[in-house]
Parts: sequence; structure tokens; C-alpha cells
Amino acid sequence: MNTVSPGEEKPIEGSLLADEFIRELVAVGEVDLLVGVPTLNDAKTVGHVVQAAQIGFAKHFPRERTVLVNADGGSRDGTPEVFMSVAVDAPHRLLASQPLRTMHRVSTRHQGSPGAAAALRTIIAAADLLRAKACAIVSPDLASINPAWIDNLLRPIHKEGFDLVTPLYYRHKFDGLLVSNFLYPLVRAACGQRLREPLATEFAFSGRLAGHLLEQGFWREAEDVSSPEIWITTLALLGDFRVCQSFLGPKVHGAKDARQDLVGTLRRAVGTLFRCLEAQESQWSSKTGSEAVPTFGFPYEVALERVRFNRKRLLQMFRTGVTELGSILQAILAEGTLHEIQEIAKLADDEFLYSDELWVKTIYDFAGAYHRSVINRDHIIQSLVPLYRGRIGSFVLQNHNASSEAIEKAIEGLCEEYERLKAYWLDRWTPNK
Amino acid sequence: MAEMIFERLTHTLEEFVAMVVDFLPRLLAMLIVVILGWFIAFVTRFVIRRVLALLKFDAFSEKSGVTQTLTRVGLPPPGELVARVVFWVIWASFMVLGLSVLGIATLQEEISRFFQFVPHIFVALLILYVGFWAAHFFSRAALLAAVNANFPLARLLATFVQLGIAVLAVTMAFDQLGLAKTAVLIAFSITFGAVMLGLAIAFGIGGRFVARRVLEKQLIEREPEKDEKEASPL
Amino acid sequence: MPDAGKSEKPYAPRPLWYKDAIIYELHVRAFCDGTGDGIGDFRGLIHKLDYIQDLGVTAIWLLPFYPSPLKDDGYDIADYTSIHPSYGTLEDFRTFLEEAHRRGLHVITELVLNHTSDQHPWFQEARSSRNNPRRDWYVWNDTDDRYRGARIIFVDTEKSNWTWDPLSKSYYWHRFFSHQPDLNFDNPQVREAISDVIKFWMEMGVDGMRLDAVPYLVEREGTSCENLPETHEVLKFLRRKLDEQFPAGMFLAEANQWPADVRPYFGDGDECHMAFHFPLMPRIFMAIRLEDRKPIVEILQQTPEIPETCQWAIFLRNHDELTLEMVSDEERDYMYDEYAKDRAMRINVGIRRRLAPMLENDRRKIELMNGLLMSLPGTPAIYYGDEIGMGDNIYLGDRNGVRTPMQWSGGWTGGFSLADPERLYSPVVSNVQYCPQAVNVQSASRSPHSLLSWMKLLIRVRKSTRVFGRGSIEFLSPANHRVLAFVRRLGNETILVVNNLSSSAQAVELDLRNFKGAIPVEMSGGNIFPRIGELPYLLTLGAYQFFWFKLRRI
Repeated sequence: MNTVSPGEEKPIEGSLLADEFIRELVAVGEVDLLVGVPTLNDAKTVGHVVQAAQIGFAKHFPRERTVLVNADGGSRDGTPEVFMSVAVDAPHRLLASQPLRTMHRVSTRHQGSPGAAAALRTIIAAADLLRAKACAIVSPDLASINPAWIDNLLRPIHKEGFDLVTPLYYRHKFDGLLVSNFLYPLVRAACGQRLREPLATEFAFSGRLAGHLLEQGFWREAEDVSSPEIWITTLALLGDFRVCQSFLGPKVHGAKDARQDLVGTLRRAVGTLFRCLEAQESQWSSKTGSEAVPTFGFPYEVALERVRFNRKRLLQMFRTGVTELGSILQAILAEGTLHEIQEIAKLADDEFLYSDELWVKTIYDFAGAYHRSVINRDHIIQSLVPLYRGRIGSFVLQNHNASSEAIEKAIEGLCEEYERLKAYWLDRWTPNK
Repeated sequence: MAEMIFERLTHTLEEFVAMVVDFLPRLLAMLIVVILGWFIAFVTRFVIRRVLALLKFDAFSEKSGVTQTLTRVGLPPPGELVARVVFWVIWASFMVLGLSVLGIATLQEEISRFFQFVPHIFVALLILYVGFWAAHFFSRAALLAAVNANFPLARLLATFVQLGIAVLAVTMAFDQLGLAKTAVLIAFSITFGAVMLGLAIAFGIGGRFVARRVLEKQLIEREPEKDEKEASPL
Repeated sequence: MPDAGKSEKPYAPRPLWYKDAIIYELHVRAFCDGTGDGIGDFRGLIHKLDYIQDLGVTAIWLLPFYPSPLKDDGYDIADYTSIHPSYGTLEDFRTFLEEAHRRGLHVITELVLNHTSDQHPWFQEARSSRNNPRRDWYVWNDTDDRYRGARIIFVDTEKSNWTWDPLSKSYYWHRFFSHQPDLNFDNPQVREAISDVIKFWMEMGVDGMRLDAVPYLVEREGTSCENLPETHEVLKFLRRKLDEQFPAGMFLAEANQWPADVRPYFGDGDECHMAFHFPLMPRIFMAIRLEDRKPIVEILQQTPEIPETCQWAIFLRNHDELTLEMVSDEERDYMYDEYAKDRAMRINVGIRRRLAPMLENDRRKIELMNGLLMSLPGTPAIYYGDEIGMGDNIYLGDRNGVRTPMQWSGGWTGGFSLADPERLYSPVVSNVQYCPQAVNVQSASRSPHSLLSWMKLLIRVRKSTRVFGRGSIEFLSPANHRVLAFVRRLGNETILVVNNLSSSAQAVELDLRNFKGAIPVEMSGGNIFPRIGELPYLLTLGAYQFFWFKLRRI
């Protein structure tokens, strides 16, 4: 194994990549496959991910030229050292034949802010420079990754000529509600393709898409806060690229992920999605309906830890929001939408219902308000938070005892509502047309 | 004697006529200056209205909340306000200029002070505008943050933020105009303090039970929920 | 890499197409015989269009295919608006145009406007009597002492530029062979007639025309009768007429002159779109023999700027001799000594040999020369057969030694024709090193390492960027004079080209401080090289090796 320890790296002004990193890439040379791991203080979990990727290479791609790239945001717990030094244990070796080639690992402290965007961009640049035919990104704190993931992510690109592979996870019915209630249906309605995880931390892309992504301007704005994955997904969906999904299994993150900040996440994800749709308006506005995306893999179910919510509190915060933010919502929402929301805020907890149609109209009103910047854009997104809580409260209430098929059906119904009301969206987007 | 009187009268009359003859053209000049000033002020107002409309100044002001603040105190929207203020400042300047044409010595000093004062008016206006904008923006930010953090009395907090910044802006504007600095400052301090004290007393004595209920509802009832294991609804 | 055959683009001529073009020069007679009569024709050529497309070139330049007594390889035209019967019919030509366009290939034809054949009806009429209305279409005189200042070009065959016409009992003027009387461009009727010829072919779909021997159109007493202002007037007239109807049309001037003298043929972008850069070619040969970059750098530094819409055409070899008119006596002697020791290899003021034999069939040198052709500023032209390393036959007379049949396979006729070998218009090259059994398309296509396969790769890399066709050039001056290094730039794209002109390995230190922070990406393999920093950039190159680097900034 060729290991190079990450030494003192001085950046060259205006450049994304450190000199030392380039030297290491020169030594690696052209590769077929690249797996990138963006990290920030992940010393505890990254070892497992590296092992899985390494075994994945050895087992599924023994003849290909491969490299594992770590883009670190400045960890203080020795993450890069773990990344470079973790060995594939003897018992693991039984899983895979001895690799034919030198297996490279490269780690770099990426330039700029410690944000995910800079790390991602560094990895994409490395993939482009090394002319990787396929490149996968995996998050460093995955407890549930196994070598098969590497195969599932890379094979559709390497062997089938796809340009982007997004994952399909097996999730608890109340896990990933932002995706199922907002991101998935909105991207689907916009782009006309049923891509289940538009904001995934694991995905893979082709060399062609990598080159295209590097040329994009969104990296500048995405420097620290936003979710660049949304840009990647929508650019691929709306551009001349072949997109597919691959089933990976359950997604279980390490401890770090347990309690996420709702407001922050909404600001990142929703803001990015709205901006990204704004930038590509001409490509999506004329699309109607949707079609399925090719899907690979072997779906299976397992018992998952239950996800529980305090429904009462969700509804209470929804009601507070509706009363307190009245004047702000008035600027954002259409008159009818606001009225209906105020009506449901009066309902008792057991009969509370935030209907699909009302929710979709709410989202489209917000998208339009954001596009037209009726008030400060960040304030717009923040005032969506209480309404989102209301919707989730209603969704959990309605599907309390639903099976996973029933949930899928409910989400499908919601998606159709999004597609049906697309004209309303366009109308809210540019009211004068 | 009569002759002397007549002579004196004639002399006085002559002097008067001479004075009038001397003064009349200046008066005429003053009138011309004032009328010209009105005309220039009128044209400027027209131009300002047009330019601000083109810049969508009113739309921006409305979006940022300045308009609402102004209407609440019975003022026209900021675009119109600017146009009117400019109109009056220009016309007033020309009137003052007209007065100086009259050549009345005692007025000259006041006139020059007036012209030193004019720029301050505009700076004060700018301060007010930015101040009202900031008041509205930060009050909204505070409101959103409070609501999303489930902080009780969110609207009260937002109002305080808005009031605080607005008061600060008004004080700064008056300070800029140099109008009875200390008086204004003291007046505001007293008013602000009185309101706060009044509120405190009212809330403490009169609304003791209400306050207790509100606080109980907001704080105590929620206590048990805090420990419950709960995921973010993402 | 996608199969070249699949990336078929619909044909749509756009202005400036010639700036990004790669031209393939061929003679219909020599390319492929489709009728089995021993002479190449359009039907044969159509069969081979897939080969041309697969090679990657984007334009075909056809040598004259008009009716002609063929005393000067077709440059003696007897009818401007039809096809020589041996090559086919106008219908065949139309089909060829369609098929070429379908493959995204542009077509450039020859317009020999300075002179006609003495068999041309215009000349027959003109000589028939002194007062024939067409008399004034040619240049006549009672004596042979006018225009003494004009040099004689074909010194090996012609003694004077005047020839006696016994029929009308006077002399006619010719700058080339005596059977090629010069047209009189002082006569407006002649200009109109030539303009009509251009219209005829452009309407049919031809994309560009090579204007043969343009410096000699007009004669004036007391001058050299070359590059006269009146000649430029004629060209401006023809260009105006072209632009009116065919804005994407192209004129390529053949003016074998110094670059500064060729410059006026571009006008202010209102004469010719392109012109050949004649003096560059012998200097590339010279530089590689001298193992010194000086000749190339010198001639390109002497080359003036040309208008934005104009372009140089550059080449290594063509259907004529490698002309040595535009070199000093010292240089000419050197070239003769190094490249044409055998007198039979020389003709007029030049060398009649093909690329491969001149370079002693040294694959490394052939690659380097082609690398230079593809990376120096201008639109490159490849002479048919040079892409597989065809040889020549210097004993065939005139320049016929470089005009032998294309070698498609290893048969007796090299796969060129189904006719018996002795029936061919010209014998195929038969020496042991270059005969069809040794050099042919069929075997070359089977090997991924043949010169042909390598040429395809080179062309593909060249086409991956517009910098080579449109970019600026700056020479670097490393201390090692055996290394020719230059930078091509267009917009924010930068390409560094480094050539080792010597037969041994060389190390060179390049001052690349201007490009600090850029990452060199070797263009044929795509691998990255260490980032450029403050220090001199050290490169080592094997014998005759060259690198093209794209300088990337990330």
C-alpha cells in the first residue's frame, strides 16, 4: 500500500488544491475509480468506512485502478491519520482476493472553509484530474456501510454508462420526512424524474459529470452553508446526463447525527433548492408529469429503531407560528392559503389535518415568494419552519399506524399533488406571466 | 418756516422715493428668485418622483418595512416624503436666497447659518430611513428566531427590538439636526423609562395573576416534555 | 472514446469554419479507382470517404479535376465548369459533395485563375484572329521584350515568359508552362467570367476554393509582375462577389512569397480568407536536421499579424516540390545537401520527395514533424498518403513521384484499382521499403501502434481544443536550443508545447513563472504533472519527443 502522510501543506493563492496534494495525485496517476470521503472530526468512525471501501475495491473491482481520497476540513482529532493508517484486518482479507494493483490512499486538508462544499469540490477536482471514470462520495460516519455499497454506487457508472447514481435507503417510516414531504416531491415535480434522494450524502458520478460540475458557478456561493448535493442532482437531472438509483440498505449514522438542528437544515436545504431551481428555470419550467428513474440493487427490509416525535409540541409550535408570524406570512402566502392555514390552526389536536393540497400550495407560495424576494430570503425560509412542523405533525398523526407500503402510497399521493399543481407554482413564481 | 417744512418734506419724500427706487428692483429680484426657486423645486420634485419610481424605491421600502413604520405615524411613503422634503428644502433655500438679495444686513448671518444647516437635514433623513429599515429587519429576525426556538413572548421581544432601534435612530437624527440635543435625549429617556416602569408595575401588581398564569403556561407546563427523547422531524 | 463514425454531425457550414479545420489534400486521380480503368475517380473517392472521416480531418482539398490535356497535372484547365471524363461526371461530383457534407467534411476545390490550358475554347477563339472579341482575354504582344522584370519560374523547362503563336503571328504571355497562356485580368469581361465560375461551384455546394498562383494575375512594365496593387484589386472584386452570395465561402491563396509579401493577400479581411505559409515548411525540416529551434522561431517572429477572420494554412508536404525559393542560398545548399543529395530528388528550386522518405522513414521524426504541424499557428494540411508513411518514386519525371496511387492494401495495385497494374495512370511505388506490401491502409488500421493510428490520435487531440487553430503563440526561450517550447493561448485556455528537435534525450528548464499554480495535463494521455511553481520547470524529453500540456487551474 502506498501511504503518504499529510504533511505541512501550503496553499497556492486562488487554488483549490494544495501543492502536496497535487504531488500525491501525480504519483497516483490515471485511475478508473475513486471513492471520496469528506471528513471533519470523524476519527472514531472513518476507519470503518475506509475498510469498507478498500474491501469493496478489492472484492468488486480487483482489476481496476482505484484510489481513496480524503478531503478533511481541519479535524483536531487526527481523522486524516486514521484515514491513512487504518489497515484492513486479517479476517477481512478472507472477504476479498488479494488486490492485483497498488491501492492508493490520499488525504488532503482542503482549502477554504471547513464546509462540505469545499470538501466535495476538492474530491471532484481530484476525480477530474485523475480522469476517474466513476467517483463515489461516502460520508465518514456511516455505521451501516459495507463493501457492497461501493459496488452498488460505482458499477452503474463504470459498467452501464450512467452519469449519476443516487442511493435508495431503507428508512423508518418517519425518518427522512424533509426528503419525503418536500425535497423529493418538489425536485420530482420540477425535473420530471422520480429521484427518491435528491439530497444524499452517498452518491456517485461519472468523469463527464465531474468535469461539468467543476465548471459551474454555484461553488462560489456554496462555499460554506449550502447543500451542494442538490445542485449536483438537479444539474444532472436537467442536463444531458443519465441518472439512476441504487439500493444501499438501511442508513445508520454514527452518534454525531442524533439531534439535528431543524432550522439550520431547512435553511440550507430549502434555500439551496430554491436558488438552484431559480438558476435553471428555463430547463424545468416547461416539464410536466414525471417518469421513473432506473433503479438497481436488491431491496430488503430490516427492523429499524423507531423514530418518535412529540406531536403535541409540533402542533403547538405550528399554532404559535401562525399567530405570531401573521404579518410575515401575509407577505409570503397567497390569501387563500393563509386563510386555510389559519383555519386549521384552530383545529383540535386529534382532528388536526394539514392536507396535501394545502401543503403543496404552501410550498409553491414560498418558492414564489423566495424567487421574487418579497422580504429577506433568509426570513422567508425561517418562517416556513413552523408550517413545516404543522405539516409533519399532521403527517405523523395521519400515518400513525400505517405500514411502510401505506406510507409509500401516501408519499406517492403527495407527489402527484405536487405535479398536479405545477401550473399554480409557475403562476406564483412569476405572477405577471 | 413753511418753506423749511416743505423743503424737509420734499427732502423726505425724495429720500423715500430714492429708497423705494433703490429697494424696488431688489424686491423684484427677490420675487424672481422665489418664483424661479419654486419652479426649480417643482421640476426637481418631478424628477425625484420619476427616478425613485424607476429605482422601485417604494417597493423596496415596503418590502423592508420602512413604509409601514412611516404610515403608522401618519407620514406618506418614503419616496413621496423624500420628494416633498427636497421640494421644500429647495424652495426654502431660494426664499432665503431672495431675502439675502434684499440686502438686509441683520438677516445675512441667519441666512448663512441656514445654508450650513441644509446638509444636516438630508443626513438626518438618511439616518431615519436606515434606522427604520434596521428596526423592522431586526425585529423580524428576532421574531422568527424566537418563534422557531419556541421562546415565549416572541412578539414582545420583537417589539422591544424594533422600538429600541427606532428610538436610537430618532435620537441620532435629532442629534444630527442639533435640535436641543439634551432636551430630546432626556425626553426620550424619561418616556422610555416611564413606559418600562409603568409596564413593570402594571404587570407586577395589576396583572400579577395574569402574568403568573402566562408564565406557568409557558414555562411550567412544558417542563416534563423537555426530557422526552425526541428526534428532529427531518 | 466514442467511435468516430457515430459522432456524425449534420452538415452546416458556419463562417470561420476554416479556422478550426484540418485539411486533407488529395488528387481524385490518385486516390481510388471505382470504375476499374486504372485512373482514380469520384466514385472511388466516395467509397473512401469513411476512411477520411475516420482519420478525423474536417476538410478535403481536391486538386484540379477539370477537363484538361493534363500537361501540368490538371492545372492546365480546358473547361472550368465540368469534370474530366476520367474522373466521372458532374452528377458524380454532386453525389461526392453530398456524401462529404453528410460526414461533416468541407470541400475545397482548385480555381486556377491565372491561366488556362491552350486547349481552352477561350484561348482557341482568342488566337483565331487578331480582332476576335475574345482576343483581349489573354495577354498578347508583337515582340517578346515586354515585362523583362518578371522572373521565369519553371527554369528547368521554360526559357522565356513569351511564346510565339504562329496562328495569329504574335507572342502570348505565360508565367508557367508555355501551354498555359495567362488570362488578361485588366479585361473586366475576364473578371466577370472567373466570378461566374466561382458562383457555379459554390452554388453546387463547394465550401472553399484554393486560388492558384495569385501573385501573377496582372502585368505591368518595369515591375516584377508579382504582387501588384492591380492584382489585389482583382482579388477584392472576386471576394466582394463571393461574400454577396456565399458568406461562409472561403478563398485560400497560393502565394509562394515571404510572409510580409503574402500579408497583403489577406487585405483588411477583404481579400483571401487563408493563405499558405510557404517559408515555414522548409524551416521545420531545417530545424530538425540542425537540431536547433532557431529557423522556426525566426520565421514565425517575422510573420506579421493577420486580420481576425484570416488564417494561415501550414503543411509539411504537398503535391508540388518542397519549394526552396523562400530561403537564403546558404540555407538552400544545406537543404539540398541534407535532404536531396541525389540530383534526381531536386526539381526547379526544390525537392520532389514525400515526407517519410525525406525523414528516412524515422517514425520518431515523422511524429515530431506532424506534432509541429498540428501545434503551430494555422490550419494544417495533410498530403494524402503521408498519414500512412507512403514513399515516392523520384524517377517518374516532373513531380509525379509524389503523385502515385494511394496504397490501400498489399495487392499489385495497392488496392487502388481493379485494373491490371500496368494500366494504372502511374506505377505504384515499388521499392522494398515503401511498396504496398510494406505500407498500406489495411495493415495500418489493424495495428493500434501504426503511424495511421497515431495520426488519428494526434488529430483527435488537436480537435479537442480551439486553441491550436485560433490561439496566440509565445515562444519560451530555454537555454537548451534543441528544445522548441511555446505557449498557445485562447481566452482562458492555455497550452504549453515542448518539442525536442534532437536525436538524443534532452533536459530542459522552462521559465513558467507566468503560469504559477497551473497544473500541466499531458494532452494525449491525460495524466497530470507536478504543479508549476516559482522554480524553473524541469522536463526531460526522449529523442524527437514532444509534449502538449493543457495548463489547468483548479
